[in-house]
Formats: sequence, C-alpha cells, structure tokens
Amino acid sequence: MVRDLCMFSKADKEAEVIWFKIAYRNTVHSEADISSLFAEKGLDMRFAYLDSLENPSIGKYVIFTEVEKGRDVSSVVTELKGLDVVLDVEYGTSRNQVMQSVEFPLSLFGERAIILRARTFVDILRIVNEHVPQAEGIQMHTGIRSGTAAVRLLREFIDIDENNCFDLLKELFMASGWGLLEYDIDIRSLTGSIRNRDCFIYDAYKENEFPVCAYISGFFAGFISEATKRTVQVQEVQCMATGDTFCEHLLSPAPGSTGAEHILKGELT
Amino acid sequence: MIRQPNSILGNRQLLVTMGKKGELFGFFYPGRDFAQHIEESQACLYEGNRLIWSNDHEWHASQRYVENSNIVNTELVHQCGLRMHIQDLVHTDQPILVRNYRISPSRKFQGKFFYYSNLQVGEMQKKNSAFCDRDSGLLVQYWKDFHIGISSRPVFEEWQIGKALDTVWWTNAKYDMENGKLQNNLEDIGNINNAIGWELDIDADSTAEITILICAASTRQLLYRSIRDIRNETVESMFDQTYESGLKWLSRKRPLELKGFPGFEFVKLELTEAFNRSLLALGILNDPTRGTFVAAPEFDHDFEKSGGYGYCWNRDSSEIVIALLDSGYPEYCERFFSWCKKTQLPDGSWFQRYWLDGNAGSSWGNFSFSTQIDETGSTLFAMEKYYGSLEPILKKEFLDNIWGTILSAAEYLMRRTPGGMHEPCICLWETHQGVFTYTNAAIYGGLMGASRMAMDHNETELANWWRERAELIKEQTIERFWLPDEGYFARGIRHGSIDKEIDASILGTFMPFNMLSAEDEKEREMIHSIISNLESRLRVPVNRYYGIRRYEKDTYIDGNPWTVTTLWLSKAMLSLAGSMKERDEGTKKSGEWKTMATGALEYILWSLRGTTCAGMLPEQVNKYTGRPAWAIPLSWSCALMLQNIILLDGLG
Repeated sequence: MVRDLCMFSKADKEAEVIWFKIAYRNTVHSEADISSLFAEKGLDMRFAYLDSLENPSIGKYVIFTEVEKGRDVSSVVTELKGLDVVLDVEYGTSRNQVMQSVEFPLSLFGERAIILRARTFVDILRIVNEHVPQAEGIQMHTGIRSGTAAVRLLREFIDIDENNCFDLLKELFMASGWGLLEYDIDIRSLTGSIRNRDCFIYDAYKENEFPVCAYISGFFAGFISEATKRTVQVQEVQCMATGDTFCEHLLSPAPGSTGAEHILKGELT
Repeated sequence: MIRQPNSILGNRQLLVTMGKKGELFGFFYPGRDFAQHIEESQACLYEGNRLIWSNDHEWHASQRYVENSNIVNTELVHQCGLRMHIQDLVHTDQPILVRNYRISPSRKFQGKFFYYSNLQVGEMQKKNSAFCDRDSGLLVQYWKDFHIGISSRPVFEEWQIGKALDTVWWTNAKYDMENGKLQNNLEDIGNINNAIGWELDIDADSTAEITILICAASTRQLLYRSIRDIRNETVESMFDQTYESGLKWLSRKRPLELKGFPGFEFVKLELTEAFNRSLLALGILNDPTRGTFVAAPEFDHDFEKSGGYGYCWNRDSSEIVIALLDSGYPEYCERFFSWCKKTQLPDGSWFQRYWLDGNAGSSWGNFSFSTQIDETGSTLFAMEKYYGSLEPILKKEFLDNIWGTILSAAEYLMRRTPGGMHEPCICLWETHQGVFTYTNAAIYGGLMGASRMAMDHNETELANWWRERAELIKEQTIERFWLPDEGYFARGIRHGSIDKEIDASILGTFMPFNMLSAEDEKEREMIHSIISNLESRLRVPVNRYYGIRRYEKDTYIDGNPWTVTTLWLSKAMLSLAGSMKERDEGTKKSGEWKTMATGALEYILWSLRGTTCAGMLPEQVNKYTGRPAWAIPLSWSCALMLQNIILLDGLG
C-alpha cells in the first residue's frame, strides 16, 4: 500500500516536464540501473517516487524530468525498454508545468482519497459553525466515524489494541499532516490527555472565541474506543485557536449511563 | 433532507409516508400538513458484530399495497439469506401505525432486533423529552401538545433514549446499538433519539414476528388510552378492519365498465387498480375535518429545491373535488367549498396557498401583482360544476349558503379584468409574471359559472354583466394570443411583449374551462391544432412512449415530463373523442376518434409506468430513467387519473 502522489511545481518556462512511469522487475539494482540511464542521457530528474510494496516482484518507478522544449525522448524510452529489468514504460509531456499527476484516482488504504487543503476543510467547519445548530456535535460525530473507520482499515494491516493505539494515532497524525501529537495516558484507566502541537485546523482557522477542534476530539474518541473496545469520551480543554500554545484533549472513560448531570458539559470531565 | 415516498398510509388523524424499504419518511399528526414528527424510523438487525439496517443497499426490496386497501406489504430479501416482511397499516379509529415485522433466515440467526427512531416531535429538533415506561412497555417522546408513543408486541426487552447529536456521543441510541446491547436509559431531553430491542434467535426457515405500534396523541393521558383501547385487538383483526374500511370506501365509487379498446384489452385491470389507488390516496391526502387537501405530503420541508408541497392550493383542490364528485364522492365538494367560504380574503380572492387550517401558507404571492388570479377563477368554476350536479332543492340550499362567496369572488375577477384581459399576476406554474392565456381561461370559466349561478339566484343583471365580461375575455384572448401561423395560443404577455413559448397550460382554454368548445367547428379545429402542437413540441420519449413537459425551456427539477401535463393532454383528447361520439355515432370508429382515444390511452399508460412500485402517481417522471421523480403522490395527478379513466370509460 502506497499513497499515490500528485506533484505541484513551478518549472523553468523554457523547459517542459516529461514524466515516465516504469514497471520493472524488482532486484536490488533495478532502481539504480534506471536512474543511471537517466543520468547518462542528461535527463534532469526533478521528482520521483517508487513502490515495490504492493507487489514485491514488480516495482513501479515514476519519474518527472525537466528537459529543453521539443526534445524527443523516444530513443531514451527505447533504451529503457532494452534494460533487462524494465518490463514496460509509459511516458508523456505535461504542458502546464504546474500540476503533474500520473495516477488517478488517488487511493488511501485501498479506498478513494482526495487531496484537500486544510483551508478548504476549515471553510466547511466555519460554515457549519455559523449556520448549523449543534455544530460541535456534528463535527464530533463526523470525527468519531472517521476515527472508527481508520482503526478498522488499519486492522487489515496490523493488530491494534490499547498497547499500540496511541503510537499509531501519533504516526497517523504526522503522516497525514494533521498535527504533532504528544500523549500522557494511563492505559489501564484510559485517562489522560493528548496534546496536538501543530493542529491543521488551528493553522487554517486562526483565532477564535471558542475551541474549534471538535472533529479532532471525535476522531480521538472513535479511534481509541474502536482500538481498545472501551468507550471513551474526549473533550478539547485547550485550543490554539483560543490562544493556547497547544491543543489539549482530555480523555476518560464514558460514564456508564447518562443523566441530567451529563447535560452540563462542564461536568463531563 | 429531501426524500420521495414510495407509498402512503393514513386515517382521519394520521398521514404516514414511507420509503420503498419500509423506512418511515413522514408521520403527520394531527393535520396532513403539520406536524411532521419523524426524521428517521426503521428496523435494524444485529448479528454478531454488525448492524443490518432495513434500508441497507444489500436488501432487495419490493413494495405493494394489498389490493383495494391502504395496507402496504414490503418484502426485503438480504443477500445473506435473511428475509424481512413488513406489513404496515393504520388503525381505522386510532392514530396508530401498526408495523408487523416477520423475519425469516435461511440459516440459524442469533442476534437482536432493534427498532430505531429519531423523532422530532412537533417538528422540533430541540426541546423534546422522552421517557420509557417499563411497566406499560411504552416509550414516549413529546413536545407541548404532541405526544408520540412507541409500544410493541411482544413488549421490548431493552431500550435506549440518548442524545442524537451531542458531544456525549455514547448515549446516542444509534451508536448504542453497535455493540448489540442497549443502555436502558429511562429519560432524556433535547435533540434525542431512541431504540428498542429484543433478543432474536431464529432457526433456519423459521419466522420471528414483532409488531411495532407508533401512536400519536395530544396528551399523555390520551396516548395511554389509545394504546389501552387496542390492547385486546390482534394484528389480524386490525388488518381485517383496515382492509374492510378500504373496501367500504371503494364500494361507493362510480361503477366502471372499461370495455376494451382494440389492442388494449389487457389494461382493464391496470386501469381499475389505478382508479382505486387514486381514490384511496386522495382519501388520505384530504383533511376530513377541514375539507381540503395537501398538494402532496410535504417532502421538502426546508424548501431546498422547491417551495414545498404540503399546502392547499385552490387550483389543485378545485380539480380534485370535481374529480371526486365525478367518481361518486360529492361530500368532498361540500366540505371544500365550506372551507373556501371561511378562507376567502376580504377582496374576494383566495391566497396563493394555505395551511389546511385556513392560515396563509408561506408564500411568494403576497401582492396583487404576485398573486395567482386563476385560483379564484378555478374555485368559482368548480363551485358551479358542483352546483350543476345537485338536485333542485339542494341547489337552492347550496346557493343560499354560498352566494356571498360567489358574489365576492366574481366581483374580484371583474375588478382584475377591467379591460377584458386580466391584470399582470403570476402564472399557474408560479414561474412567470404577466398576462396569461391559462389565467384568462380560468377567469372565463369562473365568471361563466358565476353567471349561471347568479341567473338561478335571480340576479339577472349580475349574471349578464359577468357573462359579458367572460365573453370579452374570450374574445380578447383569441384575438391577441392566438397565433394563426403556428396554430396555438401564446403563453401570454411578459415584459410588454407576446411570449410565444408553447406551454401545456394553454390546454386550459378547452379543458377544464371550456372557453373553446368542441361543438364549434372553428374552435374544434383550434383544439386539434393545440393538441397537435403540444404533442410535437413538448413530448419526451421515455418509458416506451412520451410524457409531456410543461413548456420548452422548463428547468424546474431538470425539466422533466410531468404526469399532470401528460394526463391533462390525454384528458383533452378523450373529451374531444367523447364529443365526436356524441355528435356522430355512425362514424365512431373514424380515424380521428381512434387517433384521439388511442393516443390518450397511450399517455395514460405512460403515466402508470411512471408510478412508484406501489402505484403512487408523481408530479414528474425522470426524463432519463422513467422513474417517478418528484412530489409523490401528487393529488392533482391522482385527480387527473380519475378524470381520464372516467372519460375513457365513457368512450367504451
């Protein structure tokens, strides 16, 4: 499983971007053989990624090169195809030189994914906050669903329980660009706090009168509840949007029943 | 959220709308228009570690009414071998929906049966309260004088009442179902949801049966009393009573012979079913205490894509009561015209649309230039139709009772037509502003009707005055709007110039308002020409024939063909064929007669192919898929279906 990529660049106006998508037989020297040929032919590799995880015997090597306008690379392709490790070569020219993508659609954990700017996500949150009753509840419920689904997807690749779920959560947040987490949790009682030091919601939302990370709280609650099979409640008690230096989400087991006392949210923690 | 029903049920106090997998979309009590208490209500099975909702895409669904009744059978077959049969009916005397579930697995099933509801009692998402009365086996949610109770047979074993959308997410009944065990919270307030549950242990090819009863009442005491009153009634006896009440209702209908047309012998049963279904649907869409109808059960509560349909338009209701009169149910006229008497505005007109209790509906027609004058014309026209059907002694009684209303309405029409044609207003489709052929025809029909009634009321001077104005309107409409080269009426005048876009509503000059008469040779030619132009320019090929759009540049909900305009056209064709039969029996099988009758029958069959699988007639049919598209069931479509079948029967 590898995340597909899209490349954004500002290339030299006098040059053009030619991309190559090479299927190769995976040996220890395959990638080196291909890269050497590019160097030998004077093709300037500006961006590349390779993947031999999904299929260990056949790798995928995607290379974006910047070349002088009008250059014919067909002879290079012929030589590439002549390498004993190369199985197939696709190539093409990107005309706009701003967005190049070889893969469509994007996928994540085998499911359709998209790339969204944090600002766009936050625009949705803003509109919900401004116009929809119980906006915090909606965001939290959305987060719970996302967090629960994330664990279910991860379980296809790794066993998850209370012993590793917080580390996985931290890795997931960093990998997806959502934030840098620190946690201080008593795993036995499932109490403690999670701090997010670079929350993407705050980064786009900026200052606000009230905490804005209910979606993140919900994600934590869904993720941890699903991973530990114990129902937890999570509430944001500090938020960078309200001037705190980090966002802090308090974690505790959900009460066994609901009563009038729980209506007052202040008593939940 | 906009959801189009597949079927409806109801009694005098209750109107229920349902999706094709038996999920409840609407639960209207005590009016047909207000209040709608349900956001979501459906069953769910829990097996091992997963929930199988009854509206999951994995179920294959079929839904049909029990013939001649308002009892709905929904069959769900899951790919894992489960079968769920749901029989829904509304109790004949109590505002109680009875939902009988029978679950049969192909292999042993061990799990739970949950019934989940997200109620918004009184159309309020907030400030609701709910409690579970364990001793009575009743879960109640209420707001002010609206109370909804859920009980069951057998009594539910577990339950949850929780916050639907709060940060205390684990109390949410939907989440609570996920681990297969409910928390049994006794009460809560705010935006809340609930679930009730049973252990379910069914051997392969055996059946488990659970009945859910959803009751409405104005007070807690009445709710308990309703539940108590039916405690000794079995589901079978409630089925029998509801079934008999449907049969009894239909036994009064006008008898139909429906002698076959060559090549269409196979449709007699289909037409009879459509006739009965339209009658049964209209019976539910009518408010029996107030006398009027909703255009359709409301489905666009937030006016997301339309102005909503859960209101009474005089234009629609006038058409409906006349269709019911012709079908053998005159009492709807009496009640509707009493309602009209109460709701008439001081200037003699009627408002764009009303709540069924007579209050003005939310409207974009609050000014004299934005009102719809045709609605006042239609109302007067319908009054005279009804008047014409009465025995002499009843005629006098009716006229004495309603004369003030007639006088005021006719004088309003006179004031709005000072030069002959009407002053600018909004068209019947609520789209354009201007002077319209259709509106003029409706005013013509209204004034001619009023004139005839005035004559009988010994108001000769008024009768002549109104008739002369009607004739002037007709003269001017033909003179200014008839397009001799094209052979149809222009839509009217918009922005100071003639709008030549062809519009199906010009049929109103013939049907129903009789401004053009089939008996007059020249006018008959005009009617033929209108029909021919509408067929060639507005028809859309879908469902193996053609549906008719409203007008060429229609963009409302994708500009689909409408059941209304299609049945309107077929009604005109059948009327034309009928007039030929009367004129010349000897040439009954003439080419013209055959063309009109056969063409009309094709349009009727097209309309039937565009119903829901339960037989509900929509306002529109999707132009690509041929499926019912919008406003289901539409009472105007039902009325037109009745009128078409009656006319067809008359031709046999």
